[in-house]
Amino acid sequence: MNILTRSKKLISVFKSSVLLDRTGVLRSVCSVPKSRKDLFLPPLFTTNVPSCQHRHHVSTLNLDTKRLYSEICTESDESTKSTGVFREESQEMERGSSALNQSSPEKFTIDVLVSLLRQENAVDICVIKVPEQITYSEYFIVVSGVSPRHLRAMALYAIKVYKFLKKEGAPNVKIEGKDAEDWMCIDFGNMVVHFMLPESREVFELEKLWTLRKYDEQLKSMPTETLPEDFIYDGKVTK
Amino acid sequence: MALPLLSRSLAGLLVESSSITHHRTFSVSAVAAAIQKMTRVRVVDNSSLGNTPYHRAPRVIHVYTKNGIGKVGDKVLLAIKGQKKKALIVGHKMPGDRMTPRFDSNNVVLIEDNGNPTGTRIKVPIPTHLRKHEGEYSKVLAIASAFV
Repeated sequence: MNILTRSKKLISVFKSSVLLDRTGVLRSVCSVPKSRKDLFLPPLFTTNVPSCQHRHHVSTLNLDTKRLYSEICTESDESTKSTGVFREESQEMERGSSALNQSSPEKFTIDVLVSLLRQENAVDICVIKVPEQITYSEYFIVVSGVSPRHLRAMALYAIKVYKFLKKEGAPNVKIEGKDAEDWMCIDFGNMVVHFMLPESREVFELEKLWTLRKYDEQLKSMPTETLPEDFIYDGKVTK
Repeated sequence: MALPLLSRSLAGLLVESSSITHHRTFSVSAVAAAIQKMTRVRVVDNSSLGNTPYHRAPRVIHVYTKNGIGKVGDKVLLAIKGQKKKALIVGHKMPGDRMTPRFDSNNVVLIEDNGNPTGTRIKVPIPTHLRKHEGEYSKVLAIASAFV
């Protein structure tokens, strides 16, 4: 399919269902943690899209919220995968041409990326908002694919859409790990996407590391390094 | 008898050498290179190859740059436990650019041939200026737990 037709389809999908998308997922998130006492929504929805109906700000990011984020991320995506498609379609038919006059996305934001990943039938999309103390990026996304070819196709499509939507001065983005068939990354400045196969995702457990920063299980199981008894500190500093 | 002769010649020598050092117009310093062949490095990830004890420390046997000097972000070939393994330099003892961290040990992360890291977690702080370098560092930054 031509890049223009594909991106037009994407934009039309985006226009009519970007908020419906979000409200659909919000509703699924609300239905899931009914048993939990504190009901809050992960801040992945507090994005810079101006006409947003529901804005929920989570101010504190402490340990419990982080653990619940990762659970909610995976839960919401699993539930949206199963029921979200039907919900979106019914909402689209109900609302039809939405009165929300949203211009076509001019910036390659997190919403564009997540919607294009959904369009590509990505498995288990996990979006993690990185706290500001870590000056790495704002969003950390881990995506699984069905096969290495699927991962490559998703990565190339993401690059295509980014190139189409970017301004003139923005740097080009490259795919890292092209020759590794099970793990590819793309670093778009404020967002980092990792495309992995489910097996390597299990081995590395990136979502666990990035939600529980210091309290990760693999980090805790690493033996603490101790200095040997005969260690002499050489205090000579060059320059 | 030989002693006053010797002392006189020695004094002459001393005078001459001091005058020579006074006249030197250039400074001499020892060769400073970050990581090159035969440097012993410290593996900082949690791979089994890097953490099991061996009677020889892991050494660099080749640096994949144009000159044989390895700085942060360069790939090197290590000899570990009798095997060859590629690795990525994540910190060295030599001072680098201003406002970049200098480490007390030459740190290295083991890497496969396809660029995937061998270990799954890195406890040691990793410099964030790796991100701006040309090369594939997102995977190593993704498994890092501390940034500097």
